[in-house]
Amino acid sequence: MSEFLMYLTNGMVMGVINAISAIGVSLIVGIMRVVNFAHGELYIFAGYFSYHLSTSLGVPPLIAMPLSVFFIFLVGIGMERTLIRPTYGNEMYSLIITFVLSIVLQNAALLIFGPYPNKPPNLVSGATNIFGLYHYGNQRLLTFFISIGILLFIFYLIKKTWFGKSIRAVSQDRGMASLVGVDHFRVNMLSFGLGAALAGAAGVVIAPIFPVTPTGSSAISLNAFVVVVLGGMGSLKGCVVGGLLLGMIENLGAAYISTMYRHIFGFIILILVLVFRPWGIFGQKTQ
Amino acid sequence: MEMKRWMILLMFLSVLGMVSSGWAADTIKIGVVGPRTGPAAATGKAFEEGIAIALDHINAKGGVLGKQVEVVFEDTGGVPEKAASAFEKLATRDKVPIVVGESHSSSALAEIEVANRYKVPFIICEAWHDDITKKNYKWVFRAGPVNSGVVDFYIAPFVKDNGFKKVAIVRENSDWGVGIAERTETDLKNFGIPFITLKVERESKDFYTELTKIKGEKPDIILAYIYGTGLHFFVAQANEVGLSPKCLILDGAGPPSLWDTFWKNVGKAGELELFMSSMHEKVHLTPTSRKFWDDYKKKYGKEPTDYKTRSIYNVVLIAADAISRAKSMGNEAIVTALEKTNLEVTTGNVKFGLKQGTYEYHQWMPPMLIVQWQDQKQVVVYPKEAATGTLKKGK
Amino acid sequence: MANAQQKRNFKKLWIIGFFVLLALFPPFFLSQYWLHVMIISLFYVMMASSWNLIAGFTGQVSFAHAAFSGIGAYVSGMLAVYLGLSPWLGIFVGMGVAALLGLALGYLCIRMGGIYLSLTTLGFSEILRIIITNEDQWTRGTMGLQVPGFFTEYSKTSYYYLFLIIAILILLIIYWIIHSEMGLTFRAVLNDELAASSSGINTIRVRILAFTISSAMAGLAGGLYGHYLMLITPDIPSLGQMFLVLAMVVIGGMGSFIGPIMGSFILEILSEYIRIYGEYHVLLFGLIALGISRFAPEGVMGVLGRRWKRAWA
Repeated sequence: MSEFLMYLTNGMVMGVINAISAIGVSLIVGIMRVVNFAHGELYIFAGYFSYHLSTSLGVPPLIAMPLSVFFIFLVGIGMERTLIRPTYGNEMYSLIITFVLSIVLQNAALLIFGPYPNKPPNLVSGATNIFGLYHYGNQRLLTFFISIGILLFIFYLIKKTWFGKSIRAVSQDRGMASLVGVDHFRVNMLSFGLGAALAGAAGVVIAPIFPVTPTGSSAISLNAFVVVVLGGMGSLKGCVVGGLLLGMIENLGAAYISTMYRHIFGFIILILVLVFRPWGIFGQKTQ
Repeated sequence: MEMKRWMILLMFLSVLGMVSSGWAADTIKIGVVGPRTGPAAATGKAFEEGIAIALDHINAKGGVLGKQVEVVFEDTGGVPEKAASAFEKLATRDKVPIVVGESHSSSALAEIEVANRYKVPFIICEAWHDDITKKNYKWVFRAGPVNSGVVDFYIAPFVKDNGFKKVAIVRENSDWGVGIAERTETDLKNFGIPFITLKVERESKDFYTELTKIKGEKPDIILAYIYGTGLHFFVAQANEVGLSPKCLILDGAGPPSLWDTFWKNVGKAGELELFMSSMHEKVHLTPTSRKFWDDYKKKYGKEPTDYKTRSIYNVVLIAADAISRAKSMGNEAIVTALEKTNLEVTTGNVKFGLKQGTYEYHQWMPPMLIVQWQDQKQVVVYPKEAATGTLKKGK
Repeated sequence: MANAQQKRNFKKLWIIGFFVLLALFPPFFLSQYWLHVMIISLFYVMMASSWNLIAGFTGQVSFAHAAFSGIGAYVSGMLAVYLGLSPWLGIFVGMGVAALLGLALGYLCIRMGGIYLSLTTLGFSEILRIIITNEDQWTRGTMGLQVPGFFTEYSKTSYYYLFLIIAILILLIIYWIIHSEMGLTFRAVLNDELAASSSGINTIRVRILAFTISSAMAGLAGGLYGHYLMLITPDIPSLGQMFLVLAMVVIGGMGSFIGPIMGSFILEILSEYIRIYGEYHVLLFGLIALGISRFAPEGVMGVLGRRWKRAWA
């Protein structure tokens, strides 16, 4: 029984981690209809920045983390202005460009950061004994709570602030939004930056648990895509639910069916969803 | 017409390319294959260091057949298709008389086919799969560990002699992982030691599920046949779930436990971890070993940590020695010379086996060590003759 | 009018004939090494041209192309290893399986189009790779499956001509499709899907057909490739290979017939040169591809084409 609880907990923690990783993609897809294939690379770049800032430059981790996220935000804005903006409306080109960009960044990461996995220092160490039944790493628990914090922050941003409202306006009806005075170019730019920043935040928060490597980015991107499709493109609720679902299924599947196929569950879900309910759990049918 | 101009340009470039590869024939080139990129690029770095020292030593003595020796190091990326292509390049473009190296079994198994096709002698240093020499290709030699040897002479007796009661084998789904796990299962069965086996994906990062399963079985030692960063995650997470240090972990390969980032990634979970090695500062089996150690320190300002620097050093030396004795660059002559090798290297005296039909054909197994991290220091705990300390079990 | 057209066709025929003739000569003066490079380039010509058929001509960015070549390779390879089937037959079985799966996948996701198609094909590609890697009792996973070649006497020259003949066949088929009624339909669909479907064209059926044909070609190319290398690994159906094919098409020129051919040769030959300096060629290609898709989306052919027109104006 305690084993089952452990799997469940792990599924939940991984689930929330999946969710914040996926929100970055979901935001961009929902607003700009662009799939950011370079998501995983932004994630690892943030992780590497965080690592180098705190290790080589001695910046305290609590400052290194937000700083890295901010760098990635700037990178995202730069990406949008130079590469994505010209491809508006042409889905094919935005796919190709972000796909190629992801390969470029992957190789650049290899050259710049080297092939070894790097891990920013843990904020806490050791493990906690949960209800006396099993042990669970402290850093993971901390990450869990930070991730929930980020999720709540994003929900607040989208639902309550003016920026959030303009984002929702643009995603629902671009024409009308600009008619009522929303500068949709600016919204796009900031949203892409935000999406990138979220990828970075996920990286920065998760890197202390799972060290970043240049080759790990594709798995991260793919994972995020599964969550986004599962939950519904553009739906934040969907990311959370999708992320939790994926986390649970992967962990329980690995535990009770086969440890070797843990990633396959995710992809099979992706294909099943795309075939039977492409708009996801919370997505809108009118696509 | 535009097209014509392009075609002429293209043809000119290709001719240039073909011509340039035929130049410079007053050095002897030895080919090396290894992962310079990819997840095991750390080994590529280690190879570079070992090669540099080997060339220093060889060329200081006047080179081979009166010429200086040079190395062409082709990248395999750690994958068989690139490895085969790298070997093919060395054979057809650089036309080297001999190729050495490799640290991945899957790559090696692909390369030996190419070696056989082009009839180029090939000495492998760190690819452990039995089949590499079991296939008995006459062009293929191995001066390095072999799975069966590692398990039969070191891992299995270590488990038995130290009274471990239950073993958990965790193996990645790579050629090496599958091979060494199978041999381990056979040996443990013969010794009557109970065990369980778990398979993991090669690039896994999260082992909580597997570790929880293992914990339920209550083993007292885990044989971790996981290579690369995965091992770091595994060791760290085993500690988090409370499995280690009560249950010890043995890194079946070795180098990941020696990489610079090991302690950073693993933290105090690295204490009491065991790993395979063929090198230790206090264990100098030959004068060559000592010379290597000193020269490495002089050249790089630090002590050698990854034993693959020595492995590649050894095989480059063996290759140069064979060419010298063959007094020729012809492949048949080199193979004959290799079979007669009796050379002192860092880990002992190289003599290749000649028994056909087994993995011992063209195989020389260097002595290995099982090392344990105690207080962040390497302590040799097995075999007893080489031990520098005693095994500490966890609580 | 008819005269000018005839003249142009004649010229085209001469040019094509010239190249085919040129292509017959390499084994006589190229070293084994460069012959090998040519053979690999021909493989990529097959892959790039068939991917261009769906991406360049019908606008569907599928990421499953490399996966289909992998299916062709593994089916043929495993049949050879386990049932002793000759590769000459095996590659056609492989092609058939790839076609069937292409049909199924196409049927499932074409109606979704755009992003969904790309993500589904991505998912399909990765699932395949994971299955291949994990079912190592059958596929030998990352160790690679060792398979027999086509000829009992290994001869690069023979392989070169084999690849050349099949590449030319595939190109002929693609050429015929593009210039046929089907091709017109493709272009109609590409340029304005709404208009095309309102004028009665069953756009879905056309796209599924294109997808199936393209997958079959990839499967055939994969089978050839696998039996040439005599080693089949999960690298063949990988996203890394997919990227190379994509880059070749993008750089060469999407939507043009010669573009992918040029792209394949240029990138493959270039990568051999760059390899001497280290493994930067993927990064370099990525940057070039990025630059081209941003600033010159018609690729090298587009740039050349414009200058050609100017030269004749």
